Amino acid sequence: MKRLSLKRRSFLKTLGAGAAALVGMRMVGQGASSDGEPQAASPHKWAMVIDQAKCQGCGYCTLACRAHNDVAPSISWNRVISAGKVKDREIFLARPCMQCEHAPCVEVCPVGASYHRADGIVMMDYGKCIGCRYCVVACPYGARAFNWEEFTGPNPAVPMWGQPEVERRPRGVVEKCSFCYQRIDRGLEQGLKPGVDPEATPACVVACPVGARFFGDLNDPESTVSKLLADHPYYRLREDLGTSPRVYYLPTREEASS
Amino acid sequence: MTARSAHRRPALHLTRFQLWLLALTTVIVAGLIAGVIVFTRGLVVTNLTDLVPWGLWITIDLSSIAMSAGAFLLCAAVYLLGLKQFQPVARTATFVGLLGYSMAVLCLLLDIGRPERFWHALVFWNPHSVLWEVTMCVTLYLAVLALETAPILGQAEWMQRRRPRLARLLSSVHHYAPYLAVVGLGLSLLHQSSLGATYGVLKARPIWYRPDLSVLFIVSAMAGGPALTALASMLAARLSKRVHIDDHLLERLSHAIGWVLVGYLYFRFWDAFAMTYTYAPGRTEGLNLLTQGPLSFNFWIGEMLLGAVVPIVILLKSNWRRNPPLRMIALALIVVGVVAYRWDTNLAGQMVVMSYLPQDITARFTTYTPSLIELISGAGIVAFGLLAFTLGVRYLNVVDHRAIEHAEEQALEPALEPTQ
Repeated sequence: MKRLSLKRRSFLKTLGAGAAALVGMRMVGQGASSDGEPQAASPHKWAMVIDQAKCQGCGYCTLACRAHNDVAPSISWNRVISAGKVKDREIFLARPCMQCEHAPCVEVCPVGASYHRADGIVMMDYGKCIGCRYCVVACPYGARAFNWEEFTGPNPAVPMWGQPEVERRPRGVVEKCSFCYQRIDRGLEQGLKPGVDPEATPACVVACPVGARFFGDLNDPESTVSKLLADHPYYRLREDLGTSPRVYYLPTREEASS
Repeated sequence: MTARSAHRRPALHLTRFQLWLLALTTVIVAGLIAGVIVFTRGLVVTNLTDLVPWGLWITIDLSSIAMSAGAFLLCAAVYLLGLKQFQPVARTATFVGLLGYSMAVLCLLLDIGRPERFWHALVFWNPHSVLWEVTMCVTLYLAVLALETAPILGQAEWMQRRRPRLARLLSSVHHYAPYLAVVGLGLSLLHQSSLGATYGVLKARPIWYRPDLSVLFIVSAMAGGPALTALASMLAARLSKRVHIDDHLLERLSHAIGWVLVGYLYFRFWDAFAMTYTYAPGRTEGLNLLTQGPLSFNFWIGEMLLGAVVPIVILLKSNWRRNPPLRMIALALIVVGVVAYRWDTNLAGQMVVMSYLPQDITARFTTYTPSLIELISGAGIVAFGLLAFTLGVRYLNVVDHRAIEHAEEQALEPALEPTQ
């Protein structure tokens, strides 16, 4: 009669085969994920500058963002909050995703659904996200929102504030501001300059009626953002955390409140 | 029911065992219905928000994993430290572990937004993520637990009768128990602590951001896991005549658990005390929530008094420990304390909402109470664990401190024959 007991050798073989299978799975994963952006270095380093001296807190940026990115009314990729008063004038803080250079969300994501593009934009792979919400917990800026329910029906911000340019996210994944990467990419293809040409610039920057938001390439010393940061005092949110945000704020100034 | 027994008893008389099964099945069915509602309607049926995205299910998940720690500890004690007399307890602990991890997996399937993508972490690797490491370890350890429980199935009398060849194959896995114990020890130490680190690495949450969380998670699991195994064994022996336990063995184990708990309390004291040294934004507010705010009852009564101090006294005072009912109370309190610790830790970091305004360092607070759907589906998962353990006691003999050695010898015998 054939004995059916496992031999040590075959047991260890099985263990080895299991380990090999795991590595194999990873190969599959890498193959499947290589459809994204090429990881070559990008000539660009996108950044946003928000001038608190100019911001009136109208919230047009949030609405334009909702329309162009087809964001549900219950979610704000860009939030405008009250930030206190200076000489009776209310100050506002507009908060898109900070597109951190050292992004906690990218580090904690168990499946790599949050990742950096070569130009520094923190992207979401909505096809990979499992909806564990670790990134929501990890983000110091509250910039991430989970799709607790499916967003169906018309978007109330459309067409008043623009037309959707990206696919609506399904239920069960986390979403966030992407610096309107679709506008940047399409603009660059057409030979436009993000930050200068409205078609190639994030929707919130274009929509701002008082010109409080600026966008551009920090690698280009002649860009508006490079010049603004060279000439003005600026700060970034929670710099103590070491996240290195790519959104810069110009604090309100004396001359602005007069 | 036959006519003969009907005239002796009332028509619908159920035994205590049948009533217990009926109650558990009812809760499981309710939980299944709640689960279907979660899957069809989405997580909007929970009370979770973007401010508190992890709630009751994550607490049950963390607690189940902690309660499974008896498996790796007792297997290591038996096969690596050579404490062979604990082998029957290790057998129970392994079975409890398998159930605990199954419960954890069920919780996660409910909790993640895209349950059909549960396998993504195995294929799309992000080795920087603690949660990725936890997922890998839990998956691998689940496989180890399945192998470790295979002999239990192989030794079941009905299995040996109906499928003798399969039964022998399953039993033969027992020869690899020492290897499995090493692998299980490594994987468990890694991910039990990493579950603490999952919280501990988040700089955005000051009450979590500290190195001790990983230590506290593993040490509390080392007390809670064996405690549940010992408690379940004693309960089973009291409720069923076919369960035989060696009370002296469980008493010795409980003594050790008492000392682990002393170690845990020591770490916990310095951990909490160090947070009072100075005002730290967010961290101080979090500590406040725990010690004076909405979590303070859980913290002082659930975690400290009932979860640590009382069981330490009972388990270290030898004449109290030798009293089985008192010992069972102590073991049950440890389980309560560990669950309370997981609940408090998970919520303390989320109920404090940090500001990112530069001039505003103070934190705001939010609240969370699980929704009915969360409670029912969570109860369903716990009932599943209880039912599976009950059936394991009944049909797989998972709590039997008597017949094991004999069965092991039987399983070992063929392997001792020369094969060539």
